[in-house]
Amino acid sequence: MMPRLSSIVPESCLLIVVGLLVGGLMKLVAEVPPVLESKIFFLYLLPPIILDAGYFMPIRQFTENLGTILMFAVVGTLWNAFFVGGLLYGVCQFEGHRLVNVDLLSCLLFGSIISAVDPVAVLAVFEEIHINELLHILVFGESLLNDAVTVVLYHLFEEFSSVGTITVMDVFLGVVCFLVVSLGGIVVGAIYGLLAAFTSRFTSHTRVIEPLFVFVYSYMAYLSAEVFHLSGIMALIACGAVTRPYVEANISHKSHTTIKYFLKMWSSVSDTLIFIFLGVSTVAGPHEWNWIFVVATLILCLVARVLGVVGLTFVINKFRIVKLTSKDQFIIAYGGLRGAIAFSLVYLLNTDHFPKRNMFLTAIITVIFFTVFVQGMTIRPLVDLLAVKKKQETKRSINEEIHTQFLDHLLTGIEGICGHYGHHHWKDKLNRFNKKYVKKCLIAGERSKEPQLIAFYHKMEMKQAIELVESGGGSKLPSAVPSTVSMQNIQPKKSPQDRALPQLSKAREDEIRKILRTNLQKTRQRLRSYNRHTLIADPYEDGWNEILIKRKRMMELEKKISQMNNYLTVPAPAPDSPTIARARLASDPQAWGLKSLTESIPTIKVDLASPQSPESFNMVDEIGKKGSQSKASEEEDGLTMKVPSMTKPRKDKTANEDDDKEPQQRLMRCLSDPGPAGEEDEEDEPFLH
Amino acid sequence: MGSTSSTLLKIPNAEVLMQETGFSPAHIIRLHDRFKALDKEGRGYLCPQDFGAIKELAMNPIGDRIIGAFFSPGKETVDFSTFVKILAHFRPVDKDRPKEPNSPEPINSRSNKLKFAFQLYDQDKDGKISRDELLKVLRAMLGMQVTEEQLESIADRTIQEADLDRDEAISFEEFRKSLEKVNIDHKMSIRFLR
Repeated sequence: MMPRLSSIVPESCLLIVVGLLVGGLMKLVAEVPPVLESKIFFLYLLPPIILDAGYFMPIRQFTENLGTILMFAVVGTLWNAFFVGGLLYGVCQFEGHRLVNVDLLSCLLFGSIISAVDPVAVLAVFEEIHINELLHILVFGESLLNDAVTVVLYHLFEEFSSVGTITVMDVFLGVVCFLVVSLGGIVVGAIYGLLAAFTSRFTSHTRVIEPLFVFVYSYMAYLSAEVFHLSGIMALIACGAVTRPYVEANISHKSHTTIKYFLKMWSSVSDTLIFIFLGVSTVAGPHEWNWIFVVATLILCLVARVLGVVGLTFVINKFRIVKLTSKDQFIIAYGGLRGAIAFSLVYLLNTDHFPKRNMFLTAIITVIFFTVFVQGMTIRPLVDLLAVKKKQETKRSINEEIHTQFLDHLLTGIEGICGHYGHHHWKDKLNRFNKKYVKKCLIAGERSKEPQLIAFYHKMEMKQAIELVESGGGSKLPSAVPSTVSMQNIQPKKSPQDRALPQLSKAREDEIRKILRTNLQKTRQRLRSYNRHTLIADPYEDGWNEILIKRKRMMELEKKISQMNNYLTVPAPAPDSPTIARARLASDPQAWGLKSLTESIPTIKVDLASPQSPESFNMVDEIGKKGSQSKASEEEDGLTMKVPSMTKPRKDKTANEDDDKEPQQRLMRCLSDPGPAGEEDEEDEPFLH
Repeated sequence: MGSTSSTLLKIPNAEVLMQETGFSPAHIIRLHDRFKALDKEGRGYLCPQDFGAIKELAMNPIGDRIIGAFFSPGKETVDFSTFVKILAHFRPVDKDRPKEPNSPEPINSRSNKLKFAFQLYDQDKDGKISRDELLKVLRAMLGMQVTEEQLESIADRTIQEADLDRDEAISFEEFRKSLEKVNIDHKMSIRFLR
């Protein structure tokens, strides 16, 4: 029953229920349940979530849709605030006795607090429904950017309520204030981000504290912004987004893993705590229930959201190339969840200025509960019902990378011809500026010159190399050696390697050790999918270049040997066999390699030292075998990827290769040795210098 | 608008062009102005030097290919209608155009956009992107920053991924297939040309 429950009910709902239970329990015991104090919330609970979101923000989609996101965030929130606030005031006046003294400013303030879509709630719900990236980034981006609007409106109305009268000048100043708050927040964040990037340039000797810099600088950005009443959330996002490309190029891989895991951990903890506290505060908090007010608030919020989204989309679609359909609009409107930020802001209100604060609190909690429970629970079946496009799980192929870059250049050129300075032109200018000046400052050493395509290519190669190693082998073994080599135990001793090939060096040995370590680690690793990243535990550290040169030499040597000897080859496991599938999954948490993709990727030809069928491995044996095989392969040569002969993939689809082994070997040997000229091209995927 | 229609009359074949490319009169006029601005000597046609004068193209790694795409094989000049027709490839796709069974595919359809991009790769026009052609493109895009070997391995890898019939070259179908997940309508459209 429990697994089914979590597939129907989003986690946030369950957590709130837990909070309610805990609060109820505490009340029963006549203890005072703790309320979600705003200070704790804003200083400790909120930043990790926002930093996590900002650090892993997909920049490309974000900038492509920036206009739309800004429209929703700024104009949409303003519309919501004034609509809800104004109409609520009308309702209060209309209603009569109890609500008459709720003045316009209070209503507007309340409207502004409740109109902001909450990033925590949106994240919690949208992460689970795996909606397509466009919608995700639209709603999520809106929830992040509307913080500036909320902050400004909140402070404005608070000030106004103590002053008493408002003039046009004040309104104008309000607009200026908004610009200052948002841009100021971004600037503060960007400065700290650049500082963090710059610091990371020099940390090559103290790798252990690299993650600390990222966290500390980001938090300082947040605090600095909040101190000056600028938008802390925007500062945090800007800091994370600016820091990431440069820091990732500088820091070691382990630090990168650390940062990623810490951020995920902290944001998970914060997330959980926030929702539980919400539940507890509901039980604890002072309530004043007023049917009309609460119901009116709820209805007005929903109506305002829908109207706002529809109206804005109508305007936005005139400027978009990829228009938003009505399905998209529905999801955007439906995904406007409110959450703990609104609650905390109301909690901060001063009871003297706002005598009806408790009523506001009750109303907000009701709205939050409604959006999180009702909308949160129903959005998943609705997404399925409306057949909204889901997120693509497959990775980009290198073809797509190259062609996308090509098309970018093409469009920039065409824009130049048309004399039109559009999106591509500015993006190109920014990229050029980035490459020329910024990267040189902020990225240490060699990697500052590495173009993005190469980095991407490296990553792909590494992934395949890891899979290759894990699937149990790597290259052809000269027949003279296999028995001795395969009998070796897994001990990274130098001597057996020396016997096999005299040229093996320390760099190679280190690399082998690293591969072994990661290989053995991998078998214990759980499969967990993270939304935005692929974790590659790879031996991609310094000294890479040397390794590559050595490898190339090995391959040439091996070519010579293979031409001289007969060798024992066993076909690779079928691409969709459990071994390869596990290997692939283990190295790449995002499920990658659909069947279609595997056919176009060169099938990895793996030669196993023992003639046993790979499928019959069990766990324990596998570790041993993998170790010995990878070791053996490493001694020879390391990871080559050969393009197999044409008939091989077809043959491999049969479940058990053992049957056809004998004739197949001979066939393969014939076919896979197309002669020296052919081999030149086919054989290598040499790893790069 | 009076001025539009009179300006439109000055442009040769404006009606036909609008019909074929789907541009609105305002766009045709704008493009005509641009054409005249590029054609500094007022000859009524463009030659490669005129294109070369555009600064952005000079900095663009595939700038010369783009320029080459405007000139049909053998011709040395580009007149206005060719200019417009080529730029029509980059019009955003009209999703709600009724599909007439007999009319030819519009210039800015997804498939034609891809064909245009393909031609930029395939300089010798044999219908395939060979390894050398791919290498040339990569060299142009990545320039001085990578070694020859890296380029070669990337090229090899690219061909392996895309090449389904194992002829060591990428045909148009394979090219199209490798880009099926990319939103070409979006990637190859300029908002200006609506």
